[in-house]
Amino acid sequence: MTGKNGDHESPRVSTPSNANANVKRIPPPESPAAVQTRFKVIAAFWAVIIFLGFPIWWKTTSVYRAHIPFQEMVDWADGKTCRPVFPLEIHLATPAMQSPEAQHLLRTTQHTLDDLNEFATHHLRLKLTNDSDTPTTQDDENSQGNASNAEKEAADTALTVRLLPQEDLAAPRSELHADTTQLDVFYPPSQTPVSSSSNPPLSAFIAGELQQLYAEEKATIAHILSSHAVGLDSPSPQVAGSISRRWRRSMQYAEIYHLSFSLFTPGPAPSAWDIEAAVDEYLSPLLRAFAPISNFTVDTQVQLYATFSPTATLPEYDETEAAWTLKKEGLSAFVNAAEWPLNPSIGNGPTINFILYIPDPSQSPLVVKENRASSWIIPQWGGVFLLNPPLSQTDSSGDRVNPAHLPLETLRPAFMTFSHQLLTLLGTPSTPVSLPLRLQTLIRVRAATLLLSASSTMGSLARLTESLPSIPIPATVSASVSATLSRLAATCSHLRAGRFGAALANARVAEKEAERSFFEKSMVGQVYFPDEHKVAVYLPLLGPIGVPLVIGLIKELKRVVASWKAQRRPT
Amino acid sequence: MSVDRRKVAVFGAAFVLRLLLIGLFPSLPDLLTGRVEVSTPVNSFKRLQEGLFLYTRNVSPYDGGVFHQAPLLLPLFALLPDVRSSPLPTAIFYFLVDLVNAHALSTISESGQSIQGKLHSAVRKHIRWDGVSVAAWFLFNPFTIATCLARSTSVFTTSGILFAVSNAVGGNNVNAMLALGFASYLSLYPALLFIPLILLCYDQRTQNPLPNVAVFVAQQGAILLASVSGLLGLSYLITGNFWEFMSATYGFHLLVPDLTPNVGLWWYFFIEMFDSFREFFLGVFWLHLASYVGGMTVRLRRQPLFIITSLLGVFAIFKPYPSISDASLFFALLPLYRHLFPLMRYTFVAISVLLYSTLLGPAFYHLWIYAGSGNANFFYAITLVWSLGLSILLADSIFAALRDEWEQAHPEAQGVEVKQV
Repeated sequence: MTGKNGDHESPRVSTPSNANANVKRIPPPESPAAVQTRFKVIAAFWAVIIFLGFPIWWKTTSVYRAHIPFQEMVDWADGKTCRPVFPLEIHLATPAMQSPEAQHLLRTTQHTLDDLNEFATHHLRLKLTNDSDTPTTQDDENSQGNASNAEKEAADTALTVRLLPQEDLAAPRSELHADTTQLDVFYPPSQTPVSSSSNPPLSAFIAGELQQLYAEEKATIAHILSSHAVGLDSPSPQVAGSISRRWRRSMQYAEIYHLSFSLFTPGPAPSAWDIEAAVDEYLSPLLRAFAPISNFTVDTQVQLYATFSPTATLPEYDETEAAWTLKKEGLSAFVNAAEWPLNPSIGNGPTINFILYIPDPSQSPLVVKENRASSWIIPQWGGVFLLNPPLSQTDSSGDRVNPAHLPLETLRPAFMTFSHQLLTLLGTPSTPVSLPLRLQTLIRVRAATLLLSASSTMGSLARLTESLPSIPIPATVSASVSATLSRLAATCSHLRAGRFGAALANARVAEKEAERSFFEKSMVGQVYFPDEHKVAVYLPLLGPIGVPLVIGLIKELKRVVASWKAQRRPT
Repeated sequence: MSVDRRKVAVFGAAFVLRLLLIGLFPSLPDLLTGRVEVSTPVNSFKRLQEGLFLYTRNVSPYDGGVFHQAPLLLPLFALLPDVRSSPLPTAIFYFLVDLVNAHALSTISESGQSIQGKLHSAVRKHIRWDGVSVAAWFLFNPFTIATCLARSTSVFTTSGILFAVSNAVGGNNVNAMLALGFASYLSLYPALLFIPLILLCYDQRTQNPLPNVAVFVAQQGAILLASVSGLLGLSYLITGNFWEFMSATYGFHLLVPDLTPNVGLWWYFFIEMFDSFREFFLGVFWLHLASYVGGMTVRLRRQPLFIITSLLGVFAIFKPYPSISDASLFFALLPLYRHLFPLMRYTFVAISVLLYSTLLGPAFYHLWIYAGSGNANFFYAITLVWSLGLSILLADSIFAALRDEWEQAHPEAQGVEVKQV
């Protein structure tokens, strides 16, 4: 560049008035060859710019936007594509009834149920099982396993109702098995419905029982759907309040939770616990039952000489209780968050902390003052259990000390409590008493929440990419979006068919893919990059290079135009 | 052939000086090897040692992402004894390479191509240095000595370029293209010298009638391609994984992933650059470097050797991983144009700026990295000054060359003061 413009410097033309310069110095005329050379030089630079520079500029700064189905995504978010429904299939086993009677009972009960139900999204469908000894039916795990094999097309059985005649009964009574999905209804044989009665008392009773059994689940689902979509009437405020309180206590849904069990004690003992056996014995069955909903990792630690934080209210001795007591309002400061090594997170996914606190022998037994409770839950964080082990007198000075080792049996109450706390923290509903039923409810609730959250993530992504035309959309995002949408559609159809296990499995994948596409790193890098920034990027470097090039080009064009005109004039 | 006493004396003195330096200051080579001004990621001897270590243990030398130099250097250095236990053989090998380079330079000088070409004849022919003096300028240049002691592998690229030029001025264009192929194989950027070197070769053709230009270019291009692909083939035999070594060497040159500070302009710029514009500005920087070839070739068509000289100056300023060895190559060719020195206007400024940045550069680097009392801007500012100094020198020499051409066309205007309007 420098050479190009510095070639034919013309001496400054001195003014005629200058007496010393009586010879008028004008630059010698440029030879045609020099003019041609200059033209070639400028052409050489511009050739590089046009043939190499512009393609590179175009290639490297064009924003790659893979195609994503905006409208479809927005439709999902607005709930236009899928209206989640929860048809629960309930089997009616009538070993002691004739077929027509059973049919009649089924019809009348279904009718009563439909009359009672005012929330159409969630409804119960009765079905007669001919096989009277349907074994206490598939428990929860089995029904999951079945979803993948031959029974894939059939709906999950939510509940089996067995009707058993029993003498010496005045009115029907029901009994829910705590560890299976079976409801036994005992009825006096006299109440066996006859085809003529339009509304037998037995069917009213069964319908009422079922309605009550699923009341909480129905309210929960109604609450979730109403908080996402407009137009649905929300349940009564008081029910909604209890539900939202429960949701506030429980953790956010995650694909994987890390359970951390910590033993804290202010003294040197106990320094060992049978934690592995305890987890295997008391917790593993529960975690296995949770497998379709979430995965878990388990970590444990023992921390000796763990002191209270200086601001915590110290335990006081209560004469009447003969125990050391903690005030209820002081419980929030019980966990010494500053000094106790409680990891906020292990890997990705939230951590649920369970703290087993063994008080010092001098402060044993330790309980909560108001209700003599020994455990409490910390919402969205974990649970605490105060364990007062039997003290042994092995110390040389005769003082009573904590045992050095906590055997499996001693840990039993603690782990029973932890299991309950875990259920609560994971959002399991409190009714009914049957754990498999509660887990099934949780599966449906989670499927609904994941469906809604993945849908709304899709909507946000669509709105984001539409409102910011300058951000790139990598191919991976497009792939994730289409995976999410297909999984969402699968979830929806599984829900409609009543296959809730399969629906949750699909919803989990959908949620994961949706999150992945929304938090794609290469997209957020340019979320805020307005056009004036581009000027700041281009100008400092390209300005100094560009100005001489452009001016050279303009001068050259002027010369070409002038010579062209000069050529034309004589003709 | 009679032995030129002066030449022997100069070459011997240069050799002894280097020997004395490593004899008196045994830690000097290792100190220089670690300096960022001398060793860049693409020519560092330390990195070569790492690659050599892996290579001699049958591991791919490019594993670990430290080594980015051409694979053919590995068997060459594997022949030399281990540098830790006996550094002297390696050092002497480098001294000899320097002497060979100096010899090539004196050959170029003796040819007189810089003064009297086919299309151009300098006005001030009587002001010139002979080959030995030019070689001496090269051999006793502190930058050359530092590069040599630091055992930077740039010296082989320098050899390639100097031999290409010396063969071209000698009319041996096959050897010239082979040497350029070697240099391009080592460092990629010398390939940009292809066009001016072709011109240089073409101007040496004396046969009548002159060969067809297109045929000539195609022939030389084929030779260059053959030599580069031969070297690449050999490299493939050594490494066994073609794309791995291609991306680790040429990919590294082109994409500039390692932003270790050096005396150039790229590292700081790409540290600061937004990621999304990185590819674009890589393109801009490379095109900027390459765009000088066309313009200069057209403008200085009559002095092809001078095109090469000034392009080497451009490379020393604007290439991605420059070091003082690139400047030393530019300084080596400048004395060939001793007759232009009277026409240069800013020699004092340029030399002062270069000295200033040479002295302050290490100090500022120390303040930044070791003392912690400065920051990256200290060193970057001084590299800007260094580049400014080189630019002034380069622009001034190009001005002088053009003025020389102009005076030849207008003999009546010799010695007239010029002013920019």
